Amino acid sequence: MKNNALILTIIGGITLIGNWISFKVSPIDSILGMIILIIIALVGVWLSKIIPIKVESPTVIWVSVLALLLTSPIFPGHETISQFTDKINFMALTTPVLTYAGLSVGKDINTFKKLGIRIVIVSLLVYTGTFLLASIFAEIVLRFNGTI
Amino acid sequence: MNKYKLTNVKIHIIALCLVIIAEFIGAKKLNVGFGVIALFPMLYALVLGGIMSLPSLRILKEKEMTKSANVLGVSFILIVSKLGTMLGPSIVKVFQEGWALLFQEIGHFIGTIIIALPIAVLLGMKRETIGATYSIDRENNLAIIYEKFGPESEESKGAIGVYIFGTLFGAIYLGLLASILGGTRFFSPLALAMGAGVGSGSTMAAAAGALIVLFPDFKDDILVFSGAANLATTILGTFICAFISLPLAERFYNWLEPRIGRRKKKNLDNQGGASYEK
Repeated sequence: MKNNALILTIIGGITLIGNWISFKVSPIDSILGMIILIIIALVGVWLSKIIPIKVESPTVIWVSVLALLLTSPIFPGHETISQFTDKINFMALTTPVLTYAGLSVGKDINTFKKLGIRIVIVSLLVYTGTFLLASIFAEIVLRFNGTI
Repeated sequence: MNKYKLTNVKIHIIALCLVIIAEFIGAKKLNVGFGVIALFPMLYALVLGGIMSLPSLRILKEKEMTKSANVLGVSFILIVSKLGTMLGPSIVKVFQEGWALLFQEIGHFIGTIIIALPIAVLLGMKRETIGATYSIDRENNLAIIYEKFGPESEESKGAIGVYIFGTLFGAIYLGLLASILGGTRFFSPLALAMGAGVGSGSTMAAAAGALIVLFPDFKDDILVFSGAANLATTILGTFICAFISLPLAERFYNWLEPRIGRRKKKNLDNQGGASYEK
């Protein structure tokens, strides 16, 4: 838990700088939003360990549920929370996360080189298939409902 | 205990520098012959980080790459937390599009099988096809395949191949694909946003990021609906993959393989090998 807190603080700090550069939000204005996001994340992780209901991907689910509840209209003070967390731009947050994804690429690259060309083609099609078909289905229902 | 010490100063400083560079370059639209490719900071950071980690450059040690992967595993919770706070205020809107969200999930789960499985069989892949194409093969999907067929099976080898591809190139590929599909103007940004929720956080982020560059007016809706779809895919994922997708992929393969599969001596040898092992 202490390690998680430390890592999230580091990522949070880097995000505030990125948020400042790209979205011109000064870290002084955005730091409270980041602290809230980190607390939600840590409490969510803690919840996922103590709640006995068995679910798949418990961390993702309990962190999502907690964040969702605290910012949904039923929670008193949800506007204040949203007001602070809105200062953190989603895209600014994903840049450091994907940076670490990049920095870990090297450890798998040799395994990747051993894969055949066929599995690479199939992988591309797997990702194309899931994205394309979901978009087609969504488009059909959205048009049918008259949303778009 | 050292294994859990993630405070490796070097990787964090490198990460900080890469983020600063990436954010200063900023989002760009690149016109290519067939449309527009969206480029944005997270892609630069991903690619630059990937180049720095190449073993031949000797900048990072194996241990530091493993630490980066650990940091990634933890930092991802922050994305989930942020997406949750975006879903909360829009929860009514999300439920209004409940049918679209529900139906597009079917697309997420059968899309891999319908598009990739026949081509895999045509390319001459054997039972690897089942593992490779029944899902996008993230960690939880690998667990399902291992449990059913064993980690050394052909099915698992197929799944691991797609897993490695996804780990390395999933985000960047989906970012490009989102640009291309967005450029066709056939799909609404909302539909593509839902499609982006493939059930892997970083992959979803890259696809949603590309959509935001292409459709800046829809920024909030794109994030809300890709986040909602991603959460739905994650919640339903393991259950549907284990009880529906995997049996479906296996049946489809068994039916299709004798009809369009390649017959080569090499494949016969492989089959001989397999039965010998039994």
